[in-house]
Amino acid sequence: MDPLAPTPPSAPGSLRSLTRRLTLGGAAGVGWPRHELALGAAFLLAAALTGLLTSGYLLQLATDIFTFMAMAYGWNLISGMTGYVSFGQIAFYGLGGYGTALLILHAHLPWYVAALAAGAVAALIALVLGGVMLRLRGIFFALGMFGLVQILSILFSQWSFAGGGQGLILPGQLTARAVYAETVAVAILAFLLNLYYSRSALGLKAMAIRDDEEAAAAMGVHTTRVKIVTFVLSAIPPAVVAGLVAWNRSYLDPPSMFDPSVDFQAILFSLLGGMGTLWGPALGTVILELVGEQIWAQFPEFQLGLFGLLVVLIVVFFPGGIVSVLRRAGWLRRPVIMAPSTLPEGSPPAPTEEVGRDGPVLEVRGLSVRFGGVTALRDLDLEVRRGETISIIGANGAGKTTLFNAITGFVRPTQGEVRFRGRPIKGWSPTRLARAGIGRTFQIPRPMESMTVWENVLLAALNGRRRHAAVDQAAWVIRALGMEAIWLEPVVNLPPGHRRQVELARALALQPDVILLDEVMAGMNREEQERIRDAIRKLHEYGVSAVAGVEHVVAAIADLCDRIVVLDFGQKIAEGEPQRVLKDPAVIGAYLGEVQE
Amino acid sequence: MLILQLLVNGVLLAGMYLLMAQSLNLIFGVMRIVNFAQGTMIAVAGLFTVWLATRVGLNPFLAIPIVFVAMFLIGAVVERALLRRITLRGTQGELMTLMVTFGVSFVLINLALKAWGSEYVSLPYLQSSWRLGPIEFAKSLVIAGAFGTVLSAALFSWLNLTGSGKALLATSQSRIGAGTCGIDAGRMSTLAFALGSALAAAAGTVLVLVTPLGPQSGNDLTILCFVVIALGGLGDYLGAILGALVVGVAQSVLGFYLGGNVQVLLPYILLILIMLFIPRGLSLSRLTR
Repeated sequence: MDPLAPTPPSAPGSLRSLTRRLTLGGAAGVGWPRHELALGAAFLLAAALTGLLTSGYLLQLATDIFTFMAMAYGWNLISGMTGYVSFGQIAFYGLGGYGTALLILHAHLPWYVAALAAGAVAALIALVLGGVMLRLRGIFFALGMFGLVQILSILFSQWSFAGGGQGLILPGQLTARAVYAETVAVAILAFLLNLYYSRSALGLKAMAIRDDEEAAAAMGVHTTRVKIVTFVLSAIPPAVVAGLVAWNRSYLDPPSMFDPSVDFQAILFSLLGGMGTLWGPALGTVILELVGEQIWAQFPEFQLGLFGLLVVLIVVFFPGGIVSVLRRAGWLRRPVIMAPSTLPEGSPPAPTEEVGRDGPVLEVRGLSVRFGGVTALRDLDLEVRRGETISIIGANGAGKTTLFNAITGFVRPTQGEVRFRGRPIKGWSPTRLARAGIGRTFQIPRPMESMTVWENVLLAALNGRRRHAAVDQAAWVIRALGMEAIWLEPVVNLPPGHRRQVELARALALQPDVILLDEVMAGMNREEQERIRDAIRKLHEYGVSAVAGVEHVVAAIADLCDRIVVLDFGQKIAEGEPQRVLKDPAVIGAYLGEVQE
Repeated sequence: MLILQLLVNGVLLAGMYLLMAQSLNLIFGVMRIVNFAQGTMIAVAGLFTVWLATRVGLNPFLAIPIVFVAMFLIGAVVERALLRRITLRGTQGELMTLMVTFGVSFVLINLALKAWGSEYVSLPYLQSSWRLGPIEFAKSLVIAGAFGTVLSAALFSWLNLTGSGKALLATSQSRIGAGTCGIDAGRMSTLAFALGSALAAAAGTVLVLVTPLGPQSGNDLTILCFVVIALGGLGDYLGAILGALVVGVAQSVLGFYLGGNVQVLLPYILLILIMLFIPRGLSLSRLTR
């Protein structure tokens, strides 16, 4: 396993996949359901009343609740929404706490300003760290973040300016109510960030990364950028609340500011509520803090173990959290992002720019790809002209998918050149290629499992488009491919044929110059095939050249394409008009087996 | 001569680290998960040994079988009752499993804190040393290092020479493939997790002879083990030998010249550097192949 390599997404269509629990679960609401407004109002009212009416122990408890809520929401952004589970968000808590303390002690800033400034500092640090740490995937990111916290903890214990192992003492002051108010404000801010993610294009991209980072890149999502932005945003709430905590306690030291068990609690609250959901962290924090407070009071010595036990039990037996239960009753479902209440007519895309109109759209020269000792492609030449449909056929292992991967930036060619509209594109990232105008589908469909058909298509349509243009484009694609009946359906509910259609729709929504179709008709029934064939025929009307790689359904593609290219063991063995090529004895030999006389 | 002494200590340390790391490798190989509770299991086993030695008066080496069996059972229960029920696949499944073992480690830490307090303790046993010219061989370190090496070798032979070991190895290479050969992959997972836990416990028993352990030292140990196997390439039993040597010697030498904090920091810094820059490890077996 390679910490930097793309990790495979969860098994497609697996009934118990977590993403499924995070989906809408069927019905699509648009806008703000009433019970969500009521829940928000109830939280605000309770927060305000607590602040006005209580003091002492109760106010402290409420402050703790909102502190953890802010932390849980911060964690939820990067880990729940974006899928980068971090065991080290406490790093930003510690940095925020220390930043605040040092700003109060040395820059003599007022505490509330210092906490906000420390949040900004933590965000800057997150920007730098994110560029490094977010290269790690899956458990490696989790472990890496955990390691980072230990490093910071030891560094701070050695740093005499920050009090070293002794810690720092802040001038104590009775500001409990003001601290509470600012804590609530941070928690609300953190909630609003999560709200924005669950309703916006940025959030859609983040969730796409969680579902399948590679496919997201192929849809033109700037994955690195989205991850780093999310990481920075997720660092701010813990940093600011830590400043408030430090001021409130008027004391801080490395073990308390970089305490993994504090992080663990925030994770636990998110999990209980439902990670990756908008309301999960708030519900989880309030319920468990209120119930938990009673239990901890009974068994103070077993608090840590009970946390551990709860995390284990929730992950194993209750992985969707409270929100997943409520969703079964139709509550707290995530509205479909940017879905209009009725599907707009949409308008076909304007013709693309005239750059390199004359030459071939796509040109491959002397392309070789080797994996260790295996040569998957050898010295391949290929040319696709505008408005042309070509079809690449060959037996299993002939190199079709490798060719597509090499063109779309997923595999680095060993030798050779690839030009798109006359420009060399070798070494471009999949994101850049998708945005430049090369769309692709995957051999095994990889739609975003936590989303609806609409969101999958919109994701690709959003590339560089403004909101209205993207909605228009997505609507047009849905209509062009005849998917009006399923546009609001979560893709986990779709049969394989429809999933392939979603693949094609996503690629088309990019409005590419070339679409590479990797076995787009495999496993489809005749009716579904016919629909895809229609779509491929129509591609030309929109100025899209198509390259289709097929294996089994040769008959279905022969009358569609202008040219057939035959690959065998990574080499081109024939090329030309379909009827001529399919009669070529060498092709028949390679593809169908030697002809026995 | 000093440097030679430090190298010797490092190599002996490596023998023990090897056993700690191989137990993690065993679990990772078959189940594709990192047992975050590994370090805590090592620490708890060490503390249990100290308790047996000081309160019951049991020789630490007689404690090994007891600790081994106890942790084997705990590991088996954790796998059967918890990890098995996580049906998620892919990244999400790995993360959820990591989370569960994270939770298990908190439970174990809490129980250890309750039973033995938060003190770091060591077991004074075999305090003298042998001399060979200018080099001193601390008896406890020699015994611990040798024990680790021998048990690691035994594990390696079991995996490669016996039927049940081969079945386990086969499962780690391909669960489906092993399944078609009639190997019960589920049972192999239980076996791997239980045996991995038990070997970690055995390592803890000898580790506590040379270094003080406390309930909270688990995380440091987990990361240490992970770094060793990541250096050698995850799931690579021979590579781990190199990883253990690098970490053991580096800790011994750098710890002497740069201080104890560097010794503690080293695994964490290596962790991040390895994952970022040599994600496949040093790939010993790929070079020899």
